[in-house]
Amino acid sequence: MSLLLGQILNGIATGMLYALMGLGLSLITGVLNIPNFAHGALFAVGAYLLVTAVNVLGNFWVGLAVAPLGVALLGLAIEYAGIRRLYAAGHDYQLLFTFGLSLILAEGIILVWGPVGISHLPPEILRGGVDLGFTFYPKYRLFVMVAAGLLVFLTWLFLEKTRYGAIMRAGIENKEMVSLLGIDIHLLFTVAFALGAWLAGIAGALTAPIRGLSPGMGVDMLGIAFVVVALGGLGNLLGAIAAGLLIGVAQAIVAAYWTEASTVVIYAVMAGVLLVRPQGLFGIR
Amino acid sequence: MKKQTVLLLAAVVVLPLVLRPAIASEIWIFAILGLGLNLLLGYTGLLSFGQATFFGSAAYVAGWLLKHYGINVFLALGTGVFVGAASAAAVGYLCVQRSGLYFIMLTFALNQLFYFVAYQWTSVTGGEDGMPGIPRPAFLGIDFGDPLAYYVFVSVLFLVSLWIMKRIVESPLGKILQAIRENEVRAEAVGYNVARFKLAAFVIGGAFSGLAGVLYAMLFGIVPLEAIGFVTSGNVVFATLIGGSGSLYGPVIGSFVFIWLSESVSTLWARWPLLLGVAFVIVVLFLRGGVVEAWSRLWQSSKQKL
Repeated sequence: MSLLLGQILNGIATGMLYALMGLGLSLITGVLNIPNFAHGALFAVGAYLLVTAVNVLGNFWVGLAVAPLGVALLGLAIEYAGIRRLYAAGHDYQLLFTFGLSLILAEGIILVWGPVGISHLPPEILRGGVDLGFTFYPKYRLFVMVAAGLLVFLTWLFLEKTRYGAIMRAGIENKEMVSLLGIDIHLLFTVAFALGAWLAGIAGALTAPIRGLSPGMGVDMLGIAFVVVALGGLGNLLGAIAAGLLIGVAQAIVAAYWTEASTVVIYAVMAGVLLVRPQGLFGIR
Repeated sequence: MKKQTVLLLAAVVVLPLVLRPAIASEIWIFAILGLGLNLLLGYTGLLSFGQATFFGSAAYVAGWLLKHYGINVFLALGTGVFVGAASAAAVGYLCVQRSGLYFIMLTFALNQLFYFVAYQWTSVTGGEDGMPGIPRPAFLGIDFGDPLAYYVFVSVLFLVSLWIMKRIVESPLGKILQAIRENEVRAEAVGYNVARFKLAAFVIGGAFSGLAGVLYAMLFGIVPLEAIGFVTSGNVVFATLIGGSGSLYGPVIGSFVFIWLSESVSTLWARWPLLLGVAFVIVVLFLRGGVVEAWSRLWQSSKQKL
């Protein structure tokens, strides 16, 4: 029983990370109307940048602040130098471009950090575990759960309660109208991409001490982010959280009893949900 | 005979003389896979990033039967076509109900589902090591173990596939698919069940992918895990786009360029995917429209000068 409860907690922690990935992807995909196949690679870059930042700067918290900013800057550059020219090009070329970028970033990671996986310890203060009564649980995972939850909440505050968030939501709904209202749509696109990249980067940075790092981590996460968006809906915050928690918890429970199936179950759950509800959890478009 | 047909037949004859027969075979096999994708991408306007699902599934199932039950070549081909079509029906059923970006993401996510099943089900697929030891059984006294004999077999099947695809895109079904590509809402309004026609395109495309999958398994004697991986799905999209998705011959030209390039460069450097990624980016930023369009633009400007 305590094994199951512990696994459910694990599932909630990873589920919140999945929700973060889905949210970032949803912002980019929704506002810019492009398929972002580089989203997983941005996640991986975030994780690797954290390790380097911690090694160089010697402080986890500074690293956690710096690494996602690096990813956001990368996103800014990608949007400005590449994607901006492709808005009229059709999804096929946009896909090829972002897919090409993801290959370049994944191979770049191998060139810079090597092909072998790296493990990374959480900061001193978050090592070890706490007794929750029913189970003994690692401190770092609790921290991730809270941090990811907080980030999701902050994103919600930004999107729902600020003027710029409102513009961004409007951009998802109707780009022409936003543009006609005199808002610089290109700036909006750049900001949305950078913000989505930042979310992917921080999800990667938070993941690094839990799962360790490997060059393939980006692609694995890309599929999961797609699942979150397909189930939760573009621009749907509640949907992203629900979908992230659903697959996170399902994965963790299955992992306890049938480890080999723990990745397959993510996609199987998606297929199962779509079989019953083709329109996704909350049914939009 | 038309100019394209002559060129194609000439290519079929010349290719094994200038390239190793295995690579020449791979070009036509990849072209069959491209034909299947192009029915979706070029003719129906559906961007599938999951063609490796059908290609790989067919390769594994037919490869398994060839290896353990010693089925003959034509039964293997039939199995591949069936598995390709059936897996495409299952995937397509879930995907065609959503459109646009959702559709693309779903084809990729379901590709990942099949990939991870193959990755983990090591007792059957061999996981990361692949499924080796797939025979190329002789048929009616023809020894397909001979690379050239197998090349002839593959190229005949390719020509038949191309002919069938030509008939499909010129048929009423093909015209309806093109109508869906041009204007989905109008096609629906005229009375066509758009979702059902999209599914039909998916199943046909899957059958072509399945055929390519079996031929690939028999060509190399192994089904590597990459056969069902997303990179294969991406490569077909790339090859079809550089060839030009607007025409029947686009994927054929694209396959030729892609296989020839990858076979000559991938042996030189282990970080070949990096170059591939760079190639994707360059093509997208500077060479949109593909080889066929660049060619026809060149052709037209030369005619205007005359």
